[in-house]
Amino acid sequence: MKGPSSSGSVRRCMSESGPIAAGTNAWVVMPAFEEAQVIRRTVAAVRARFPHVVVVDDGSQDDTAGEALAAGAVVVRHSLNLGQGAALQTGIQFALARGAEFVATFDADGQHSVEDLVVMLQALQRERLDIVLGSRFAGRAEGLSLARRVLLKAAVLFTNLTTGVRLTDAHNGLRVMTAGAARRIELRQDQMAHASELVAQIGRLGLRFKEVPVTITYSPYSVQKGQRLSNGFRILTDLLAGWLQR
Amino acid sequence: MTIQILLTILLVGVAALVALQRTTSRLVQFAVIVVIAVGTYFVWAPEQATAVAEAVGVGRGADLLFYLWVIITLALIMFMYLKIQRLSRRLTQLTRAVALAHPQSPADKEENS
Repeated sequence: MKGPSSSGSVRRCMSESGPIAAGTNAWVVMPAFEEAQVIRRTVAAVRARFPHVVVVDDGSQDDTAGEALAAGAVVVRHSLNLGQGAALQTGIQFALARGAEFVATFDADGQHSVEDLVVMLQALQRERLDIVLGSRFAGRAEGLSLARRVLLKAAVLFTNLTTGVRLTDAHNGLRVMTAGAARRIELRQDQMAHASELVAQIGRLGLRFKEVPVTITYSPYSVQKGQRLSNGFRILTDLLAGWLQR
Repeated sequence: MTIQILLTILLVGVAALVALQRTTSRLVQFAVIVVIAVGTYFVWAPEQATAVAEAVGVGRGADLLFYLWVIITLALIMFMYLKIQRLSRRLTQLTRAVALAHPQSPADKEENS
């Protein structure tokens, strides 16, 4: 189930570069578990436009924290591996404590494009939204295998049916929200079910949201690190358990 | 006969363990010991168990016990599941608090306390 890496090249920055609008205090939250191989590059690419990056090292055994620090990120460390949802929540709280006006989430494996985030932040500000979500299906997905496409589409259908929020891509790690929205969102799903949970909260809190097409570059590395079909089942049981406790 | 002696020894053993627990509340200890006493009684008088079973519409005493056991086990599993969920929730909060209390910046490479 490996995506053909037809275009493995990282999308290069467009002509206008340099830190994004100096006045905006945006923090990029990057959850990371054993990403020492790639995190330095990802952090450096993000910091070219967004100087404030917090990497949440989710109990990695490798040198993820050291690599992230070397690239100029602030690092907070979970002493135990809790899962991506928990790492995101920790990072969001950290960003808010540092006075962030905008909080973005960005995957550590380098599958997202910083330029997409710039566009999303502009949309958030211009259209006075609460949260902007990246969508790979509205945009382009490079190197996405058929099996993965089917799985992701099934996840979208499931999320649409259960949350009442209509999206084209419910499980994209690239998002940006206002501090106000970040304060109201509380991810209690420690593992991967947080993505559906977030969409459900957007619906429940009545947040103004929008999807923006983004490009996901599936490198062999990100595919190998990514979710497998079997995890879909795990996510379903996690969500079920979450509902039981409400 | 052999099984009755074996079961009695086991039940008395469990009762002794429960009685010696000092962290368990008196009420729980008392309840468990009563249940064990009733169980021991039924071990020696299975026809009494069958009488009780018939009174509630079950054929045999052993079947009644089996049904009760299933229900109690499921309730215990559910209880423990919720307890584990609560514990992992607290573990997350603790881990998060520790993480947020000790951020590392590129400037301070060494641990700051």
